[in-house]
Amino acid sequence: MARTRSKPKAKATKESTPEPPTSNAKPLLPSTSNPPKLFVLPKDTSKDARIVTLDNPASGVPSRYYFCPDKGVHEFTRIAAPKKACRSWLITPEKSSGSNEEEEEGHDGTGIGSGYVTKAADLFVATPIDLMFLLLPVLAPKNAKETKQHFLALDDHLDNLSSSSRHWKVLLAQHPTLKAMIGKRMGTVCDTVDAGDETMYRLSHGKLLAMLLKKAERMCKNGLPQSMEEKFVKTALEVPVMNIKREESTLSVVSDTPSMPTEDSQVSVSTPSTSVESQLSTTTSMDSQTSTETAATSVSSTEEIVSKPALQTPPEVPHLLRLRTAFTYLLCSYVPQTLRPSLQELLKSSTTPSFTLLDMHLSAIAKLRAEAMALRSISDNISRKRVLEEDEEKMAEREEKKRKKEEDEKKKKTESRGIKQLKKADTSGMKKLSAFFAKAPKKG
Amino acid sequence: MLEARLEQANLLKKVVDAIKDLVQDCNFDCNDSGIALQAMDNSHVALVSMMLKSDAFSPYRCDRNIALGINLGSLTKVLRAAQSDDTLTLKAEDAPDVVNLVFETSDSDRVSEYDIKLMDIDQEHLGIPETDYAATIAMPAAEFQRICRDLSALSESVSIECTKEGVKFSCQGDIGSGSVQLRSHSAVDKPEESIEIDLTEPVSLTFSLKYLVNFCKASGLSSQVKLCLSSEVPLLVEYGLQNNSYLRFYLAPKIGDEE
Repeated sequence: MARTRSKPKAKATKESTPEPPTSNAKPLLPSTSNPPKLFVLPKDTSKDARIVTLDNPASGVPSRYYFCPDKGVHEFTRIAAPKKACRSWLITPEKSSGSNEEEEEGHDGTGIGSGYVTKAADLFVATPIDLMFLLLPVLAPKNAKETKQHFLALDDHLDNLSSSSRHWKVLLAQHPTLKAMIGKRMGTVCDTVDAGDETMYRLSHGKLLAMLLKKAERMCKNGLPQSMEEKFVKTALEVPVMNIKREESTLSVVSDTPSMPTEDSQVSVSTPSTSVESQLSTTTSMDSQTSTETAATSVSSTEEIVSKPALQTPPEVPHLLRLRTAFTYLLCSYVPQTLRPSLQELLKSSTTPSFTLLDMHLSAIAKLRAEAMALRSISDNISRKRVLEEDEEKMAEREEKKRKKEEDEKKKKTESRGIKQLKKADTSGMKKLSAFFAKAPKKG
Repeated sequence: MLEARLEQANLLKKVVDAIKDLVQDCNFDCNDSGIALQAMDNSHVALVSMMLKSDAFSPYRCDRNIALGINLGSLTKVLRAAQSDDTLTLKAEDAPDVVNLVFETSDSDRVSEYDIKLMDIDQEHLGIPETDYAATIAMPAAEFQRICRDLSALSESVSIECTKEGVKFSCQGDIGSGSVQLRSHSAVDKPEESIEIDLTEPVSLTFSLKYLVNFCKASGLSSQVKLCLSSEVPLLVEYGLQNNSYLRFYLAPKIGDEE
């Protein structure tokens, strides 16, 4: 409200009562080059806690971490409002001790003065990260070729660490407890040998894999985040719906095809002792939608065959897929690139848990999809109008085209008379205005 | 958040009427200095540039720069629902989907409210430099409109020739030719009828009459129109509004083929 310009017109001010006068307008200060940022930091950290720059284990890019000698290392996640939604933070110093429930208002208002409005509504949240991940870059071989790894004493590893980053050096020097912490975490992913009174460490891929799987297990215990679940689990496990309508005898060739490959897929999938069944004749609840759809299109007495989810998802498959998704996520975001291929290999051959069932199921689905695709191209030729259920992508594309066309037509219709008249104007010899005026830089 | 109140809905009605026959959709760029619009016609030979300064509104409030992409046809339909002397209030959120228009009769007995859906318009903006024109002619808007209308009956294009004798609009068509010559004179009692010619060097340029007739739809906005010419540069036709606001049209000259 404060920025309203009320014009000193007697009549206007009389009517616009809701606007407060802005006589006390102060000139705004220029924006600072280093605006305050908002952090959500863990509670009760020691006063030695600080923000440090360490190499990101996955990418090797220097990144900011929050280090507390008592609570360990935290990584920062930036939470930002979507670009279209314009949001700002209003930061004010705490007025009374009672009003500090809003954490984003900052832990201390010093230096903020009477308040500050940040331009971007970014919020940085510190969440704990296992120290082990930060150690991985020094434990991992420097390049893929170097396969032979030696046992090294803890101090040698620490030397490597401090030579990799200046901040590590400072941290190690300042906090003697850190060394013990590192040693403990290293023990969880390394093979150790005792040489005299010293313990030597070497990265063990098996141990690392077990550790990652444990973390992945924990990650999917409460369900994956929705977007992840949607993208990697739900869509991956979608079984194409085979829905072919028999209209006349000429089409029988087509309608026969789906049943045959379904049998095929049954053979390939049923090897493990699971409840994979192919359903040739049963109609489950899932296809009620499809059958109504076909019913709507077929007015005449046509016989229809609905061969339904050709494949049923075994109960343990979603969990396995979730686990693997979580594992892949951990691998991509926290594990150095050099370690990834060997860990993937190891995971494939691991027996606890075994992913063979999942792989088989996925390949069966892929096969079904390919068949559905092939089938569709045939049925597309027969009747363009009928679009199969799983054809959503193509359907959307077509709809988009249609919509565009309609829009253009509509636009033409709504064109005013003047514009139509101008189209007839003879513009020969007239240059476009962009030949005279330069294009202005685009405003955000 | 944008909130802008116009004492007279008529102003926006006339502005939109004047440009809706030149462009279909355009962005109304709102910032704290006012509401601006720049758009080119379909063939990109004419450009309209409007500026309604914040002083033209009372009150005016705009917290963030907002581009309101509006179909002018739709806007015309809604503005038709307003009487000329209604007050008009434009409102929009910071990242709006709609623009809200409220019309109030002067006694505030009747309040009508409309929302227009906005569209995303990808428009290129041209930077128009300040130009010192060789000739500037200020004349009654109605006179300019009459000349354009009369001459457009004969021909597609008009040549505007400005010398120290005065300004001459002439055309040649299939049925014959015609010309109108004006001399500068100042009418003391009726300043809106005076003709002023400010000339640094003589110019002669040819323009499409269809476009000029189209520009003249803005004649109701202002009693006087200003024509600015320089050779090899687009013609500027300016209708001044209150509070330094303006509606300007630019038109590329016809070069070559004729004469």
